[in-house]
Amino acid sequence: MTGHSRFEEQVLPHLDAAYNLARWLTRDAHDAEDVVQDACVRAMRYVDALRAGDAKAWFLTIVRHACYDWFRRNRPPEIAADEGAIDAAVDTAALSPEQIFTRGAETRALQDAVAALPLPYREVLILRELEELSYKEIARIADIPVGTVMSRLSRARALLQRSPLLQAIDGQSSRGER
Amino acid sequence: MNCNEAAPMVVAHADGEVDGLRGHSLKKHLKECATCAGKHQAVLDLRTKLRAEVPYHHAPQSLRDRVLATVRAAEGRSSVARRGTGERWGWLLSGALGGCAATVLAWFVGTAVLEWRNSEDLATEAVTAHVRATLGGHLTEVASSDQHTVKPWLSARLDFSPPVRDLASEGFALTGGRRDYLGGQPVAVLVYRYRDHMVDVFVRPQQSRAATPPLRSIRGFNVARTTGTAMDWVAVSDVNPDTLTAFVQRLAREDASP
Ligand SMILES: [Zn+2]
Repeated sequence: MTGHSRFEEQVLPHLDAAYNLARWLTRDAHDAEDVVQDACVRAMRYVDALRAGDAKAWFLTIVRHACYDWFRRNRPPEIAADEGAIDAAVDTAALSPEQIFTRGAETRALQDAVAALPLPYREVLILRELEELSYKEIARIADIPVGTVMSRLSRARALLQRSPLLQAIDGQSSRGER
Repeated sequence: MNCNEAAPMVVAHADGEVDGLRGHSLKKHLKECATCAGKHQAVLDLRTKLRAEVPYHHAPQSLRDRVLATVRAAEGRSSVARRGTGERWGWLLSGALGGCAATVLAWFVGTAVLEWRNSEDLATEAVTAHVRATLGGHLTEVASSDQHTVKPWLSARLDFSPPVRDLASEGFALTGGRRDYLGGQPVAVLVYRYRDHMVDVFVRPQQSRAATPPLRSIRGFNVARTTGTAMDWVAVSDVNPDTLTAFVQRLAREDASP
């Protein structure tokens, strides 16, 4: 099989996943297209290194790299933040969720809350909940240990569950039960 | 299993990461313990809401087409030269017209059709060359933002001297140049970066009377053409058509001797 038909058969079926990830990371339709195109060019170049049955995680790893390179060129502040500092800030803010979701907190929909998550949390959440990948696959794509995947997921979920809108929904649906 | 043992595994279980014997005893604990069951259920509830309310962004068809075209272009790069001439004549011979009729019609419509066809080929060839260089990672053979470095490099390898200008002040930063081919002839390519986009500008001594059509979209790339300062200018990029057209006209309008 040539490299190009390998790409078409094994990588291209994951184009939606690639675009979805790039779109959630860049939060912009046009930027996401640029990132995916760049990722495809890279994937074509390295497609010989792809092992069977591994295509989705492999391709998403490339997409994530392309995203971060894109951030480095276009929005360096987004990836400049120290991840330890983000974790600390989030944990502090846990006591007062309104500090995180200040702007239009009452009407902010869940999707806006996801978009507002710090980048390191947003990526693990999207990979787990929308792409349904395992901890191991996410660890590989995001280049972090499995333990870090778990702690970021738990912080991301805590943030979303504390978003005022979610609380309101929860308050209605489970009033009197808890 | 008690709460202390179960707690660290509850979320992982909701993520489908706990199986076997541990999964079995954890399930048993969840039936008996409201606290752990609540935590477990919270993850599942959030997931249900996420999948219902958070959009999954599917790749637009235009992106899919562009990627596919890029793959196919790469696939065909070895046979590009051979295919070029075949397609040109194949177009005249195809359709309702066969042999003699085609010859007769070509006689009448003659140069207009062939010139139009040639300009189409030129645009297609430029896109193919751009894709090939991008895929091969060799957009620039000489990488420099200095026109006084790029121009002599190109002049030394071509039998003409292309005008080279850096337009960084207008957003188009010169990043280098390379030698490439259009219509079987060596031409100069000036490579610019505009924001996050790469722009290839093919330059050759003027051969066409007028660049028609001045703007084309091929495989998701825009091709803007013009003539000026005794050169043919063909710009290829995914930069939007208006910006690209203004840029190539600006280059062609400039004094040829910076
Ligand atoms: Zn328990």
